[in-house]
Amino acid sequence: MNDRSGRVTVQGLSKRFGAVVAVDGVTFSVEPGVVTGFLGPNGSGKTTTLRMIVGLITPTTGDARVNGVPFAELSDPARVVGAVLEAQGFHPARTARRHLLACAAAIGVPDAAVDHVLGTVGLTADADRGVGGYSLGMRQRLALAVALLGDPQVLILDEPGNGLDPEGIAWLRAFLRAFAAQGRSVLVSSHLLGEVEQTVDHLVVISKGRCMFQGPLAQLRGSRRARVLVRCAAPARLADALARTGVLEIDTLPDGRLGVAGTDPVHVGDVALAAGVAIYGLAEEKIDLEQLFFQLTAGPWRAG
Amino acid sequence: MGRLLRAELRKVSSTKLWWGLLVPAVVLSIIINVFGGLFTAAIPDDGGRLPLLLGSLAYTLGLTAVFAACYGVVATAGEFRHRTVTTTYLLGPRRWQVQLAAMGVSAVVGAGYGAVVALVGVLAGVAGQAGSAFPSVGALVAVTAIGMVVSALWAALGAALGVVVGNQVGGLVGVLVYLLLGELLISALLNSAASVTLQRLTSYLPGNAGDIAIYDIPARVLAGPQIGSRLVETLAGVTAPPPWWGALLVLAVWTAAVGATGWVVGSRRDVT
Repeated sequence: MNDRSGRVTVQGLSKRFGAVVAVDGVTFSVEPGVVTGFLGPNGSGKTTTLRMIVGLITPTTGDARVNGVPFAELSDPARVVGAVLEAQGFHPARTARRHLLACAAAIGVPDAAVDHVLGTVGLTADADRGVGGYSLGMRQRLALAVALLGDPQVLILDEPGNGLDPEGIAWLRAFLRAFAAQGRSVLVSSHLLGEVEQTVDHLVVISKGRCMFQGPLAQLRGSRRARVLVRCAAPARLADALARTGVLEIDTLPDGRLGVAGTDPVHVGDVALAAGVAIYGLAEEKIDLEQLFFQLTAGPWRAG
Repeated sequence: MGRLLRAELRKVSSTKLWWGLLVPAVVLSIIINVFGGLFTAAIPDDGGRLPLLLGSLAYTLGLTAVFAACYGVVATAGEFRHRTVTTTYLLGPRRWQVQLAAMGVSAVVGAGYGAVVALVGVLAGVAGQAGSAFPSVGALVAVTAIGMVVSALWAALGAALGVVVGNQVGGLVGVLVYLLLGELLISALLNSAASVTLQRLTSYLPGNAGDIAIYDIPARVLAGPQIGSRLVETLAGVTAPPPWWGALLVLAVWTAAVGATGWVVGSRRDVT
């Protein structure tokens, strides 16, 4: 049954809430040893997908498996998956320690594990305060402490950056990298690519409930060819001259510049000089991942 | 299952809910047993030879069941209010086991309510009803034990109801309106029906069943075996009540029915 691989597989997963299709046939997998980023704008179906993986929401069609079985059929679910989900609440009057002690009892780990995870997330000093007085960042840390109690193989985090200060985000980044380096799996969602860009190895991009991209981060970078942006006296003449040298991917930008793909600034400069076109500006376009992400989720590839 | 029971116990002991609802029940018990309840007002006491305490105690235990029911509702519906249910289901994805554990622990708390309220009630009664006879230990223990079972069942039923409703305010208002008003109206309607079968249905409503179980023995002791049953009819507002054990069975069936509903509703609910 449980293959102990640490893999999460999502197969044709869909969820319909009344007339709204929140998730529409999403397929991807999360592999051990790497951090997988799960990206999409707010309302794209990330949270619903994550909650379907851990059995909190029943899929309309398709299925999600962890270690080859549905989450609810794992004999020790919290020892396999630790999850930090949005809107995961705490009783305001209960202290963090008592919350964790109740969780430890449910998982079946010794009480000593509570002190251990409190130390890991840096809440030891505040453990005996009611959670009602906690900041958003402290609640996130407590939720992570609960997720870590069972020493799980797979960690699932939904927008963990929310409420964390820059120091906390840097800490989490390092923590997730170290967690994955131990051969465990991490699935972390975000609506900002920049937030997870330095953390993730693998990317799943979702928009309007559909999977837009799945693959290594490097592949996403490589999917867009670099362009040379040229401001010149006679764009049409330069474009003709470039075309004669075999450079055909030329766009005119709204600001009048030419965007030339498949070449480099040296070649463009040489051709311009030979054609007698004055050049006022020559720049290499940077591949902006955030821009790419935006195009993936809202641009011309938008699912119809 | 053992783990979930332990987790549930730890949840209960780490908030003020259990004693927050116990305190008013105890205060009520003191007041009622010192001054004598409505129950004893119905019985003409000829010369202080009747153990009236048994009556006021029964009345108190009947009210305690309402607190126990509220406790159960808040114990489970509160998880939805505070969104702790996400964590609970992450650690225990077999939801029916979680519900069963919550019902079990709530039943223990409910029984505890009954025990504490009875103990305080007896002490208050001894202080306030010095003129009347002290009931036999057997009858006292019987009433207390039945009261504990009724409160335990109501707490478990409340816990299951909390899962069904999934909303703390809705669940609380529902259970209070039903117990304090709804069932009185339904009983009055059934009792006014021409059909005897319909009239007899009054005994099978959950609130009435609990009252019948609690009042049965005190009524027999105070009014005698002949008119004891009539006294129960008057007090609980029912027709042809079953004996206490039959009434407990009725309440247990109601608890199981709400529990099964919770099982179905709870396991299908999307926790968003």
